[in-house]
Amino acid sequence: MTQGISRKEAIDRLNGLLSEEMEASMRYLHLGMMVQGLDRLIVQKVLQENLEETLEHSEQVAEKILQLGGCPAPKIRVEFEEKRYSGKEALQEALLFEQAALDGYRDLLEHVDGGGDVILEEFARQQVSVESEHVAGLKMLLEE
Amino acid sequence: MTGWREFDQNPVSHSAAHHLTTIQFLLDEFGYARVSDVARHLGITRGSVSVTLKGLRQRGLVVEDKHKHLGLSEEGIRIARGIRIKRVLVQAMLRDLLGIPDEIAEQDACKVEHLISDLTAEAVSKLLQKIENGDTPKPLHEFIEEMKKESSGSKSVFPSEEAQQFSELLEQRRTEHEDK
Repeated sequence: MTQGISRKEAIDRLNGLLSEEMEASMRYLHLGMMVQGLDRLIVQKVLQENLEETLEHSEQVAEKILQLGGCPAPKIRVEFEEKRYSGKEALQEALLFEQAALDGYRDLLEHVDGGGDVILEEFARQQVSVESEHVAGLKMLLEE
Repeated sequence: MTGWREFDQNPVSHSAAHHLTTIQFLLDEFGYARVSDVARHLGITRGSVSVTLKGLRQRGLVVEDKHKHLGLSEEGIRIARGIRIKRVLVQAMLRDLLGIPDEIAEQDACKVEHLISDLTAEAVSKLLQKIENGDTPKPLHEFIEEMKKESSGSKSVFPSEEAQQFSELLEQRRTEHEDK
């Protein structure tokens, strides 16, 4: 039990985040395949780095679920568009699901903040920080 | 046989249809809709919702305010309403005319709600209204009652021998008609 939210709710929320991270890795993989144009080589590299990070995040979230006594059980239903992306379009799409993951971690932090489970709280805080950097990095590339 | 190609040319995909009707439902029910609400309602990730909504925003069907609250444009409302009405009509047709249990009728209606044409939906609506108003010959009423009884008791694996033979007969008749 965490004092802020029940253990079950914490596991459910973490499984939601695991789904976000695993879906994001698939989307990065797909975007890397479909990106075209002059900036393909540069953007592919960015997408590959982000793919590796989302996989790391998936493992970290799964680890937290296991620590809480739960089972990593992501629910993944991804539909990929049959289209090619310019470098900019690929990064714009990446920004959408990175922002979604950031919002998810913010939600988790909001629920566990001050609730007594220091480890989970610290994890959520750290993920918010890392995802915020991702989002900021993508926005810089997109000049937003 | 080129009808299957219509799947790709449909104005909204199955997923997009669910996003539009969910936004409309959340607005009607709670007065607001956010990406997280849509994701929770549909049981999918926020990432998936965000990616789908991007396409719907670009097509001018979904709008988002500065507080990240979602809404539907006039065209979005029209499409969402149309899909919902088609679902209700097809569900009623399957349930009331063919005697399909409501739960299965709803699932099947959900699968085709965004695919059937407006013309077909209108025709289904007229047929159901006629039956509702009693504007049908009595034997049809009796026939429908018979259908309901037969369908409610039927649990065999599709296609039954009867259905298979009947479809073969229909195909044969159609081929003969085309040959003429």
